Amino acid sequence: MSTPESLQDTMRQSAELLYAHELEALRQHDSGKIPAGWQMSPQSVLTFITGGQAGKVPITPKYIGNRRLVEMAIATLVTDRALLLIGEPGTAKSWLSENLAAAIYGHSNLVVQGTAGTSEEHVRYSWNYAMLLANGPTPEALVQSPIMRAMELGGIARFEEISRCASEVQDALISILSEKTIAVPELGKEMNARKGFSIIATANTRDRGVNEMSAALKRRFNIIVLPAPSSLENEMDIVRKRVGEIAFAYDLQAAVPADEALLKVVTIFRELRSGMTLDRKDKLKSPAGVISTAEAISLLTNSMALAASFGNGELTDEDLAAGLQGAIVKDDDKDRIVWKEYLDNVMKKRGEQWRGLYQACKEMNE
Amino acid sequence: MSSQLELGIGVHIFGVRHLSPGGSKHLLDDLNRIKPKIILIEGPSDASSEIRHITQRQTKPPIAILAFTEELPVRTALWPLASYSPEYQAMKWAADHKAQSVFIDLPSSVMIALQDMRKHEQQQRAESSPTPDPEQFTPQAEVLHEAVHESLYDQIAQLSGEDDYDMYWERNYEHNLNEHAYRQAILQFSEQMRELTEAEEQHSSASEHAYNAIRESYMRRQIKQTIESGYQPEDILVVCGAYHAAALSHVSDIMTDQELQSLPSSSTKLTLMPYSYYKLSSMSGYGAGNHAPHYYEMMWQQMNREALDELPHLYLSSVARLLRKAGTHRSTAEVIEAVRMAQSLSALHGGSIPVLRDLQDAAQTLLGHGDLLVIAESLAQINVGTTIGQLAEGVSQTPIQDDLNRLLQQLKLTKYKTTIAQDLMLDLRENRRVQSKESAFLDLHRSFLFHRLRLLNIHFVQQQQTQQDQATWAERWIIQWSPEVEIQVVESTLLGETVEIAAAYVLQQKLDHCLTIAEASDLILIACESGMVTQLENGRQTLQRLAVDNQDVIQITLAARSLSKIIQYGDLRRIDTMPLIPLLEQLFTRASLFLVTSCQCNDEVAHEMMKSISELHTIGLDHIEQLDYQLWLEQLTEVMERDDLNAKLSGFACSLLIERNQVSATQLAAEVSRRLSPGVPADLGAGWFEGLSSRNRYMLLSRTSLWEQLHQYIESLEDDDFVRALVFLRRAFSTFSPSEKNMIAELLGELWGVNTEQAAEILTEELKEEEAKMIDDLNDFDFEDF
Repeated sequence: MSTPESLQDTMRQSAELLYAHELEALRQHDSGKIPAGWQMSPQSVLTFITGGQAGKVPITPKYIGNRRLVEMAIATLVTDRALLLIGEPGTAKSWLSENLAAAIYGHSNLVVQGTAGTSEEHVRYSWNYAMLLANGPTPEALVQSPIMRAMELGGIARFEEISRCASEVQDALISILSEKTIAVPELGKEMNARKGFSIIATANTRDRGVNEMSAALKRRFNIIVLPAPSSLENEMDIVRKRVGEIAFAYDLQAAVPADEALLKVVTIFRELRSGMTLDRKDKLKSPAGVISTAEAISLLTNSMALAASFGNGELTDEDLAAGLQGAIVKDDDKDRIVWKEYLDNVMKKRGEQWRGLYQACKEMNE
Repeated sequence: MSSQLELGIGVHIFGVRHLSPGGSKHLLDDLNRIKPKIILIEGPSDASSEIRHITQRQTKPPIAILAFTEELPVRTALWPLASYSPEYQAMKWAADHKAQSVFIDLPSSVMIALQDMRKHEQQQRAESSPTPDPEQFTPQAEVLHEAVHESLYDQIAQLSGEDDYDMYWERNYEHNLNEHAYRQAILQFSEQMRELTEAEEQHSSASEHAYNAIRESYMRRQIKQTIESGYQPEDILVVCGAYHAAALSHVSDIMTDQELQSLPSSSTKLTLMPYSYYKLSSMSGYGAGNHAPHYYEMMWQQMNREALDELPHLYLSSVARLLRKAGTHRSTAEVIEAVRMAQSLSALHGGSIPVLRDLQDAAQTLLGHGDLLVIAESLAQINVGTTIGQLAEGVSQTPIQDDLNRLLQQLKLTKYKTTIAQDLMLDLRENRRVQSKESAFLDLHRSFLFHRLRLLNIHFVQQQQTQQDQATWAERWIIQWSPEVEIQVVESTLLGETVEIAAAYVLQQKLDHCLTIAEASDLILIACESGMVTQLENGRQTLQRLAVDNQDVIQITLAARSLSKIIQYGDLRRIDTMPLIPLLEQLFTRASLFLVTSCQCNDEVAHEMMKSISELHTIGLDHIEQLDYQLWLEQLTEVMERDDLNAKLSGFACSLLIERNQVSATQLAAEVSRRLSPGVPADLGAGWFEGLSSRNRYMLLSRTSLWEQLHQYIESLEDDDFVRALVFLRRAFSTFSPSEKNMIAELLGELWGVNTEQAAEILTEELKEEEAKMIDDLNDFDFEDF
């Protein structure tokens, strides 16, 4: 563990550090029954994620929107089942999994980051080959995977982007999840999971380079699908909250965007995502790529950075337009046309308030 | 709390939520403890006589009490009862324990009249001046008021940490099995709810408030009368909606005779009817937690088995069973995990037993693998179910049911009233071997009845295609009775007293709303098939009115065709079709007059037009005595002669005229030479020939001169034009049969002086490779400059 001083300059703090005081308050005021291996009662975990009060400490909501989904996720982990969060890119899967792990286990850092190159050793265990060659297989030469460590500690391991791993690697989880042990034949022993062990995995549904998960593996997970934010207000809340947090963390010298800018960005994103205008009157074309809430957040923070570094710190329409262009036009030709059509057919007719943004976007897109 | 209430006048009052298994359970416990001699139930007091039918052994809920006004427009009121309705259980208990049970709410006649007044009042408000009197309530206020109610329920749910009010209710009331707890909790709850809303309601929704006040005052009067008729107050138990419970516990403000007299009333009839869980879930009469009737029945059964805690197991394994049946395999381990998850979801809310929402979410996560779509159908089956209620024979007697039964008897169809599907062939012709007129036309009258039932959307009969398509005298029907049919019949009572009147009403409605002449002529056909003479006449008028404005020959043809069919075969159905003839005349004349203009169209429309022209031609010939056939021929001639119309249609008109011998040989020669003269664009020339050849080929084949001219025309074409013409000609000849092609070959052979047999051989043998390639090249032919 690093000292608090050195933490000041880490790029991104983990949830348990970022919200340490909230977790502490929740633990102190917890009156519910605490499941074996957990840091707090399920109710307190729910409060931590969806917001509320712990004594006098206000708890900020971490996942805005569907409270029921959070309840389902917690209920899954109470029954020591593994949890699989599925959703389109940018639906806060990892964010939710990190916060759940932080609240339940106290640490969110036992992570396997799934890629096409992830091998079975990353899931189970590998060896320190120098020691293996010198002394043969010994417990000291064993390099545990985060999952194995979680089993040993009775904690929660996170498996990010599980669907990016090759199917064989994914399937290494099957026996771990059903037997809750990892056999180490070289040492002639096995590692049994302590109470509290579980896995939270996340997977993308709509992206390139994704491997289908086997039915056997799916059967061992409780699967929860995270939707895109249901309402405009909801999405605005999420964007506002995250933009505020990020701006603070990165110390951006720009004003947090006004609600008007937020509303515009979220409206554009929602309309392009759903393929129709908010009043459901006009049909639109959607761009090829995914336009998630997470991108709305990074778009706004980017624009803020632009405003802070090259402007007067005030977010202008030009800053926003640059961000929008980058977020929406990914596949050059087709997306450019989609965006142009949107500008001319929808945004142009929106009246005075949208005029400035329209002009800026139009110039940018040419 | 409960003792206080009883002190009021000593009567036991049990507030319930309608359609609540928990309420039923607690009510039964109380009944067994108190053993009242008479049970007073919130329900239309004129339906009390139906209670003995409701409690009959043969009666299987869900059923409903249906009240409907006798005069039009029919207004209805409905009181559905399920097996888990507290009211139903109270009636059952009374019947089993030799106690009395009666309904004490306003009679249906008053209730419907009052509802009418309220609706009327609202409409008036809506129509009144744009600046409404602020003193009085406005529809907006009404809406607002409802929103206040809504948000209040939502707030309650939110305060208790639930997603919606249904979850709150189920967790706190349905699952609460502590004795007395239910009754007290619900009383307290409704009293407070009432306090919160009453003052505001009095102001913003005066009519709603007044309506409730009248009902309660009437119910108090009924309670008082019961006491006066000699029952001890403690022997009386009142079952009413929780909202009214507090209001019924005091004796003040009892409706006087005079007040009762002054209430509005419209004359109504009552009947019991079988009901279905589907209807119960889709149109909730009370808006009270009956979105999942089958689930609640499962809950009720589990309660009676004292095994409510096993409901999740039952529910989730039922879902899994249905999924497996549908081909989606789910293991028992997943069901077990789903039960555990539902339980832990419930524990998060401090509940002991999962509520429906917990079960559904667990099912979605584990049995649907996160996807609701996978399990949606199974869930719907388990939640709503397909149960349909049953009544003892003869209990449900609406006039239309009587009428249908009488008709079935009269038409010797009673034996078909079973749940087994049976086939019935009808021969609409007169049966000359029987004596009475009635039996001579038995099948015809059956057909009338079946067509009327079909019109009423009563799915008792289904028409099948007959094997002999052309036999207009034969009809094949499949007949099958089902409880749903019973419901449909009862509902039709609202449309009319007899099958005939109801069917006539429906048909008239359709006629009044029909907009196109094709639709109108379909309705005329239906009127004819169901033997409804008045509607036939009305349909005729409708069609006539619509036809006046119509210039679309294709549509007019459709209408004319069905009219022509009716006129030709009308006597089979013993219907006087004479009045239709002038209409057909009118349609035919219109079509003739608009023919020339309609022939100015592109090739796509020409295809449809060709069919219509052919159809009209046949109609003209079929009714040659009644119609202005001469006009038709004149118009056809014009189409044939004019060069500015679609060439294909001109050709087609020409072929029709040749057929009717209206074109002399010289005329034809002139026509052909003009159409196929050198310089005429290939698409026009060949298109014309295509039209000409698409009807009577033998007629063409017998005219050698025609082929000669075609030959010369093709000779005259430049290479480029030749290729174009080839495309059209190839299409024209593609529908010719091999023997016809042979004959053409022979003809051409003679023209070219080739041995006919050789020519035929070349024409019919398989394509050689290079020929095939040439045709392929033709397929790539660029049509762009057409």
